[in-house]
Amino acid sequence: MTRSSRRLTRILATATVASTLAACGGGDGGSGGGGGGENEASDIGITEDSIKIGAHYPLTGVAAPGYSEIPTGVQAYFDCLNQEGGINGREIEYIYRDDAYNPTNTSAVVNQLVLEDEVFAIMGGLGTPTHSAVLEFLNAEGVPDLFVASGSRLWGENPEDYPYTFGWQTDYESEGKIIGQYIAENFPDARVGLFLQDDDFGEDGERGIREYIDDQIVAAERYVPGNTDVGPQIAALQAAGADFVVGFNVPSYTALSQLVALRLGYQPQWFYSNVGSDPALVGSLLQNFSQGAVSDASLLDGALTTEYLPGVDAPDNAWVQEFQRIWDECGGEGELTNYRIYGMAQAFTTAQALQAAGQNPTRDGLVEAIETAGSEWEGPTFAPFRYSEDSHMGTSGMQVSRITGTTAEEQTPVLVTDLGNAEIEEFDGEQAPPPANAIPDVESVVD
Amino acid sequence: MQQFVNVTLTGLISGSVYAAFALALVLIWRSTRIVNFAQGSMAAATSFIALALIQSGWSYWLALVVALVSGFVLGAVVERVVIRPVEGGPELNAVIVTLGLFIAFQALIAIVYGSSFESFPAPFGLRGFSIGDTTIALTPNSLYVLGAVVVTMVGLIALFRFTRVGLAMRASAFGQEVARLLGVRVGRMLTLGWALAAVVGSLSGLLIAGGGLVWPAYMDALIVFGFVAAVLGGLDSPVGAVVGGLSIGLALAYVSAYIDPALVNLAALVILMVVLLVRPGGLFASSTARRA
Repeated sequence: MTRSSRRLTRILATATVASTLAACGGGDGGSGGGGGGENEASDIGITEDSIKIGAHYPLTGVAAPGYSEIPTGVQAYFDCLNQEGGINGREIEYIYRDDAYNPTNTSAVVNQLVLEDEVFAIMGGLGTPTHSAVLEFLNAEGVPDLFVASGSRLWGENPEDYPYTFGWQTDYESEGKIIGQYIAENFPDARVGLFLQDDDFGEDGERGIREYIDDQIVAAERYVPGNTDVGPQIAALQAAGADFVVGFNVPSYTALSQLVALRLGYQPQWFYSNVGSDPALVGSLLQNFSQGAVSDASLLDGALTTEYLPGVDAPDNAWVQEFQRIWDECGGEGELTNYRIYGMAQAFTTAQALQAAGQNPTRDGLVEAIETAGSEWEGPTFAPFRYSEDSHMGTSGMQVSRITGTTAEEQTPVLVTDLGNAEIEEFDGEQAPPPANAIPDVESVVD
Repeated sequence: MQQFVNVTLTGLISGSVYAAFALALVLIWRSTRIVNFAQGSMAAATSFIALALIQSGWSYWLALVVALVSGFVLGAVVERVVIRPVEGGPELNAVIVTLGLFIAFQALIAIVYGSSFESFPAPFGLRGFSIGDTTIALTPNSLYVLGAVVVTMVGLIALFRFTRVGLAMRASAFGQEVARLLGVRVGRMLTLGWALAAVVGSLSGLLIAGGGLVWPAYMDALIVFGFVAAVLGGLDSPVGAVVGGLSIGLALAYVSAYIDPALVNLAALVILMVVLLVRPGGLFASSTARRA
C-alpha cells in the first residue's frame, strides 16, 4: 500500500529471484551464459536491476478521451509485474509523456525519451500521424519501437525500411476487408456510406472495404481531426441515400456524428470500426444530454463494431478477470475500461518480448527475439501475431459484434486475413488461458 | 436539395455563434481599441463554471446567469489587474499580454477541470424539426442560439447609440485625453468595456457549447473564425460583426460540404485576405480616418 512497503516487497521479490537464479547457475556447473549468468547493464536503458521503457500518448486534446487511459493500464500491469520480481530480476521503469496528438509535440517528447531519459525501447506510441513523425528517428537511432498503438500498415509492412518498428493491433486494411465481407454477406442490399478520418486511418480502411463492396458504396465523406463540425459530412451521407454508414473515426467523432445524425433525423445502420466504438466512452461523452434532449446515452444501441481483444463487456473471459485483478491491485483511480485492458495487453506482449530477449537484452537482440518467436506467443488477442523477418505486422484477427447497451454480441467467429489479396479465413485456434498472475513465461531465444 | 438546405442551416447556426464572438471582439475594440485574444479562453472558463453547476444539479438558466456574471467580474478584474499596466504603452504590448492570458486561462481550466471531453447540455431540443417526412438541420436549440445573438446585437447597438454610457465608452476609446477633459471617467469606462465584452464572449462560449462537446481548448476554432468575422465586418460595427459571422459560417459550411473539409481553415484566411485587399477597412467600415 505505502511506497516503502511496496519497495520492501520488490526487494524481497528481487532477492528471491536472484537467489533462485544463483542456484540455477550453480547447478549448471558455472557454464556461464544462458539463464544463469549475472545481470549486466547490457544496453542503453538497461541496468542490473531495471529496464527503462518510454511511450507517448495524447493525454490532452481532441484524441485524449479514452486514449489517455491506456498508459494507466500499462502502468498497472508493470507495477504488478514489478511486485512479482519484474523481468529476470529487473524492474520495469515506465515513462510516458503527453504529445496532445500533435506530431510536432511527438517529435519533441520522443527526443526527450530517447536522448535525455535514455529509454531502452519505446512501447505503444499512439497514433498514425503522431508516430509517423518519429518513425525515421527511432529507426536511425536503433531504438526498438514496439507495438505502435495504431493500425496503420506503416509499422510492419516493410521491415527492411523500419527494422526496429513493430505493429500490434489488427491493421485497418484487414479490418476494412473483414467489415466489407461481412456487409457483402449480411447486408447485400445496403447502400453504404463511409465516414472517414482524413488520413492513413481512413484510407487504409476504405481500401479494405472497397475490395469487397466497391459497388455498394454510394458516398465517402472525410472529416479533418480538430474540426468538430461534421454537419456537412453527415448531411452529404444522408443526401447520397446511404442507409448503412461505416465509420473509421476516433471516439469523440463517434459522439459528434451521432449528435449530428440526431439533429438531421438520420437513422442508418451504424458500423464503427474498432477504434471509435467503445460504448462506455461514447456513452460518457454523451451523458450530460441525457437530462435534456437525448432520452438516454445508448445512442449506439444496435451499432456494429469489430473486436480483436476481449473487453469489459466479457467479464467471464479469463483474461478480463485477470486484468480486473491487476487493475484492482495495482491500478489507480477509476474503473477498468477497454482502453486500460488494451494497455495491459500491450504490456503483456512487451513482457513476452523482454523475456525472449534473454537475461541481458540488447536492442538488436529484442528485435531478433520478436521476429523469431513473436508469432508463437499466446496472449489476450483473439488471433496470433504475424511477426517474422519479413513482416512486423501485429495480429490480424477480428470478430464482428453488435453493441447492445454497454455489452457486445458476437456476430461472426474470429476471422483472420492479411494485407492485399490474402483471403479471409476463420481462425481455428482457441484463445489460450492467461498464465499465472498474467505474467508470461517465455523462453529466451537469443544467446 | 435537402442536403443544400441542411448545409445552409448548419452554416447559419455556426455562423451565428461566430457572430456572437465577433460581437465581443467588436465591443472591446470599440471601448478600448485593443484586440483581446484571451476572449476565447475566458469564455471557455465561464462555460466550465456553468458546466460544473449544471452537473451539480442547477438548472441551465441559473448556470447561464452565474456564468455571465462571472464573465463580467473576470473581464473587469483582468482589465484592472493585467491590462491596465500596459495600457497607454505601444499597442502591441497589450495584444501580446492578451495572447499570454489566452494560454494561461486554458492551462488553468485544464488544471482545475482536467482536459477530458465533456458533453454540455442544451436548454432546448437537439432533434431537428420535421417538415412532412424530411427532417431539417434546424433544432429548437439552434433557434435559441440565433435569437440570443440577435438580441445581443440589438442591445449593443442600442447601448452605443442611445445611452450616455455607450457614448462615454466610445469617447474614452477614441481619445482618452479629450474624454477626460470633458469629465468622462475614462478608467471606469475601460473596465466596463472589458467586463461587458467578457459577458458577450461568455454568452458565445455557452451558445457554442450547448449540445456539443467541450474541453479546455474548444474555443480555439471559434477564436480564429470569430476574429475573421469581426475583421470582415470592420471590427467597429456590431451589424458588420453579425453579417461577417454569418457569411463566414455559410462559406465554411459550403467549402466543407462541396469542396474539401481539409480546406476549411484555409478558406477562412483566403476570404479574409480577399476582403481586406478589396476593402481594407472591412465590409462595414464607417469611415477610414477615425483615429484621435
